[in-house]
Amino acid sequence: MSEQEKTPKPDTGGTPAPGKGAEASAFPSGTIYDVFKEALPGVAFEPAQGASEVILHFPVSDLTKVCRAAKDDPRLDMKFLRFLTAVDYMDEGMDLVYQLWSYTRKHGVTLKTRIPADNLRAPTVTNVWRGADWHEREAAEMFGITFEGHPNLVPLLLPEDMTDHHPLRKDVPLAPIEEWQAERLESSAGVIEEVVEELQRRGRLATVDTEAPDAAEGEEA
Amino acid sequence: MTTLHQHELETIDVNVNMGPQHPSTHGVFRMVLTVDGEKIEDVTPHIGYMHRGAEKLSENMDYRQGLGYHDRTEYLAQFHAELCYVEAIEKLAGIQVPERSQYIRVILSELNRITSHLMFMGAFGVDSGIFGTTFTYAFREREAVQDLFEEITGDRLMYAYFRPGGVAWDVPENFVERVHDCLGHARQAIKDVDDLLTQNEMFIARTRNVGVISQEDAIDWGLTGPMLRATGFKWDLRKEEPYCIYDRFDFDVPVGEQGDCYDRYRVRLEEMRQSVRIVEQAVKEFPEGPILPEKMSRRLRVPAGEVYGRVEAPRGEYGVYIVSQGGEKPYRLKIRASCFSNLMALRDMTVGGYVADAVMVLGSTDIVLCEVDR
Repeated sequence: MSEQEKTPKPDTGGTPAPGKGAEASAFPSGTIYDVFKEALPGVAFEPAQGASEVILHFPVSDLTKVCRAAKDDPRLDMKFLRFLTAVDYMDEGMDLVYQLWSYTRKHGVTLKTRIPADNLRAPTVTNVWRGADWHEREAAEMFGITFEGHPNLVPLLLPEDMTDHHPLRKDVPLAPIEEWQAERLESSAGVIEEVVEELQRRGRLATVDTEAPDAAEGEEA
Repeated sequence: MTTLHQHELETIDVNVNMGPQHPSTHGVFRMVLTVDGEKIEDVTPHIGYMHRGAEKLSENMDYRQGLGYHDRTEYLAQFHAELCYVEAIEKLAGIQVPERSQYIRVILSELNRITSHLMFMGAFGVDSGIFGTTFTYAFREREAVQDLFEEITGDRLMYAYFRPGGVAWDVPENFVERVHDCLGHARQAIKDVDDLLTQNEMFIARTRNVGVISQEDAIDWGLTGPMLRATGFKWDLRKEEPYCIYDRFDFDVPVGEQGDCYDRYRVRLEEMRQSVRIVEQAVKEFPEGPILPEKMSRRLRVPAGEVYGRVEAPRGEYGVYIVSQGGEKPYRLKIRASCFSNLMALRDMTVGGYVADAVMVLGSTDIVLCEVDR
């Protein structure tokens, strides 16, 4: 059983689900959000502040338009696609994540778009950034997303015959041995600390630290 | 008569498998070359032989346990990968790192850049046919730095020394002396490699104008690090988006001119000199003090949110993207491997060249396949 199956239901935490517009009005100005609004007046962006970048949510129907503008609009000029990936929210769908950067304007953004769980399709962006090629192939095999228009959407990292599941989905469990190891680590986490504490209390750890190497060398000689 | 002559000389394209166990592939990597005689018509890279699912595993263990996977991912620049991971967590959890740990991190990372580039110099020398000489010279000095890493961290390769909040334990008392000693070895190695390769006629013949990529293509493919700088594009995360305490040090960002294999080599050689400069400055002002914040809970809990941490690793931008929903485990962890993107441009760089050039191009990307496959 995977970790996610144990926990009752994944809440979307720091990544608000599309449809919650309450934050938009309170979002501070002077960020990359303003430039995107100006460049793409027709797109319904929902901004959020990440720890490193501004995150912009938008509907998947605008994906090609937004990515094209992000690259070609001189105000945005984001020629560098750092990576693209997906985040699985199970029944609530999947987020596609595009991390962009502009070398000339020195600004970056995280673009996010939600695709429904029953229709994991999105247009490719390989025609915008060629560097999206392998990233899309990886996301396709790991999450089962179809990138429409991708020139060569074949498995990249996984074996060709591994078509029955998509490993990075949250409903795919780890192999039993890995599950077992993780549980063991979890249950032993306190034990190691207890041993260290006990050694420190007895003053044993200090002697091990300073004396042991010399003593060991002496014995060998 | 002429038509008959042409007909007789007509050739068919042949597919040649290079790898997965070819010595020049620096790991387990296969590329299918479609060749017309000696000329490469097409290249299809096949990766994934070393895929271990580091991302999936990281999502199923807590933040501290996940650290080890970054050593195993980027096994030639472990400190950079660790730094990236712990800084991303620190940013998300709002942990302040003490001065002393910051300096330890910078010193070790820059020494690590030198060892990583020396590995490249040695291997690239072998690739180019200067058999073993650069390899042994570079590795003799690299070993001294490697010994310091082992002495400090207790492990030769899988350090797991940087921790969220600082470092695992303090450095030995003679640390500064030992670093100075290592810098001596690094200077010697840089001089040796420079003497052996930079003016070497054979080396220049094998690398000049080989594997050229233009600046526009490099940016479009998402190349970073020395691969991008070799095209003449001045971009270094340590300067442009300073992380850790890199903004305190004075160093230059070397760039190439033509974006060929020779420029990539020259950029890396100069970067080692700059790393020496940074370490020199860092040990001069190396402070005393604690190595971890006063208040560090044993169980590391990270608030909900998301972060993309990135560092300038020896091979380019190494990044960790974390989506947290609170708690002890990341909800999603993505590793942006520098070589993964750098390798994508392989086709652009090799098609039209000779089979022997493919070895040079691959060597000049300085691939770490554990990082590509993750």
